[in-house]
Amino acid sequence: MRVLVRVAVAGVAVAAPWIVAAIAPGQQRYIVHVLIFTALFAALALSYDLIVGHVGALSLAHPAFFGVGAYTAAIASTRGGWPFLADVAGAVALAGLVAALAGIPLFRLTEHAFAVGTLGFALVAWIVATNWVDVTRGPLCITGIPKPVTTLPAWYWLALTALGLVLLLYRGMTTFRLGRAMHAVRDNEPLAAAAGIDPLRYRMLAFVVGGALAGGVGALYAHYLSVFCPEEMTVALTVNMLVIVFLGGVGTLRGVLVGAVLFTALPEILRLAPTWRLVIYGLLLLVIVIRSPEGLSGLVRGRAR
Amino acid sequence: MALLEIRGLVKRFLGVTAVGGVDLTVAAGELVSLIGPNGSGKTTLFNCVTGYLGADDGRVLFRGADITRAAPHRIARLGLGRTFQHVSVFGRLSALENLLVFVQQHQEENLLARLVRTPRVRRLEAEAVARARTLLDLVGLGAKAEAPAGSLSYGQRKLLAFAAALMPDPELILLDEPAAAVNPTMINQMKDHILALHRQGKTVVLVEHNMDVVMDISQRVVVLDHGQKIAEGPPAAIRRDPGVIEAYFGR
Repeated sequence: MRVLVRVAVAGVAVAAPWIVAAIAPGQQRYIVHVLIFTALFAALALSYDLIVGHVGALSLAHPAFFGVGAYTAAIASTRGGWPFLADVAGAVALAGLVAALAGIPLFRLTEHAFAVGTLGFALVAWIVATNWVDVTRGPLCITGIPKPVTTLPAWYWLALTALGLVLLLYRGMTTFRLGRAMHAVRDNEPLAAAAGIDPLRYRMLAFVVGGALAGGVGALYAHYLSVFCPEEMTVALTVNMLVIVFLGGVGTLRGVLVGAVLFTALPEILRLAPTWRLVIYGLLLLVIVIRSPEGLSGLVRGRAR
Repeated sequence: MALLEIRGLVKRFLGVTAVGGVDLTVAAGELVSLIGPNGSGKTTLFNCVTGYLGADDGRVLFRGADITRAAPHRIARLGLGRTFQHVSVFGRLSALENLLVFVQQHQEENLLARLVRTPRVRRLEAEAVARARTLLDLVGLGAKAEAPAGSLSYGQRKLLAFAAALMPDPELILLDEPAAAVNPTMINQMKDHILALHRQGKTVVLVEHNMDVVMDISQRVVVLDHGQKIAEGPPAAIRRDPGVIEAYFGR
């Protein structure tokens, strides 16, 4: 039964552009665009959940890794003439490296100090992107980033493939022995050490892989929009990630996916009522937080029980 | 040869001396109890030995190797297991997984092999699951294998933490108040488990306030007071020692 549901969800996801074309031919471009964003944000949120959900480190540094990946791809493809896959690979590698270098000092901090430290790191990254004009062109943005595919459905399938790859890695890392070691560190660090687990090793693993994947998503994002500006890597992105992960269901694959779909698509759907958009959005967030502090996946599980 | 050797261990907190130069030697196969009034430095001593606190002076040797500055996870992997005074489990992992987590680092730690689940890792996992189920049955938690550890009762969690510490088959195990705050039936169970370990040839060091348990099962008792060792000997002698009586009841 669960397998059937998964196959059905995957089938609908793959066929989405055709379904949209059949149901709402007039709105197809716009809806597929929202779907592309949803897939990219779902992948980004999963990479974020590796860190906050599975080793319990409240990192606020994600925009920095996203930005490093986006700028790497943008610069490598516009100035270096790198082919698409090569610059995405470069973005993943460089974002992972930056996460590793940042993680070494940041993980000397714990809990709230760690959160503040990562927030500071993200702010510094944003300031560098804004002011290092020779490299990033600062507020003028990097423009003319080449698009590897041109039609919207092709872009959608590209984003969906990326999401699929992130999802496979996420599942591999959060189950079995790797997942168990990460969860042990999250649940009780001193006890994890008594079990022979080096807590720093697993925190770094999640931080570096999460950062590298965020870099990859940043690269795709920059190619898709063909423009990348420093504003894309502000704390607003962190807020977006926090809403998706915590209101969807922190540490759960299904919760994060549901959160990504709901909180990427919902603000767009609410554009139909522009005056009340933010009011409705805000009320909905409040209701979810009050009714289900564990996130939407907690609510669904609670009902099923 | 001494399995564990503590030489002149000192630990101070902001100038207050919690452990003031303690020497303690434990031979392989011994069952030793560490007793003393609250605040006498028993748990601090445990934490220094297992790497959770850095000693200010002195040395700790395990199987002849210096572990004074080693990190807790490294000491654990050498075969020195411990439990914690305040019941300590991984609340969101199942009871079974709580045990599995304690053995996997001793078996292998290849991140890539774990990700792709090589046949070798799968085989080791199957062995671990079999051992974990045996240990859960031993402590009477066989039926709770799939329950989240956080949903177990206090006493059950205490038994689970004990079973978890046994998973990697440690050479030496330090038990910090295994019989505290559990009901009399469970105290007897715990006593039997500790004696069974001893009979298997394992070395056990016990911190415990329950004098019946201590006097009943220990071969040797070490008494700490204000961070100093004030007495050491067989239970019967400790019971009559005037210094020990004074430390506990005052003059």
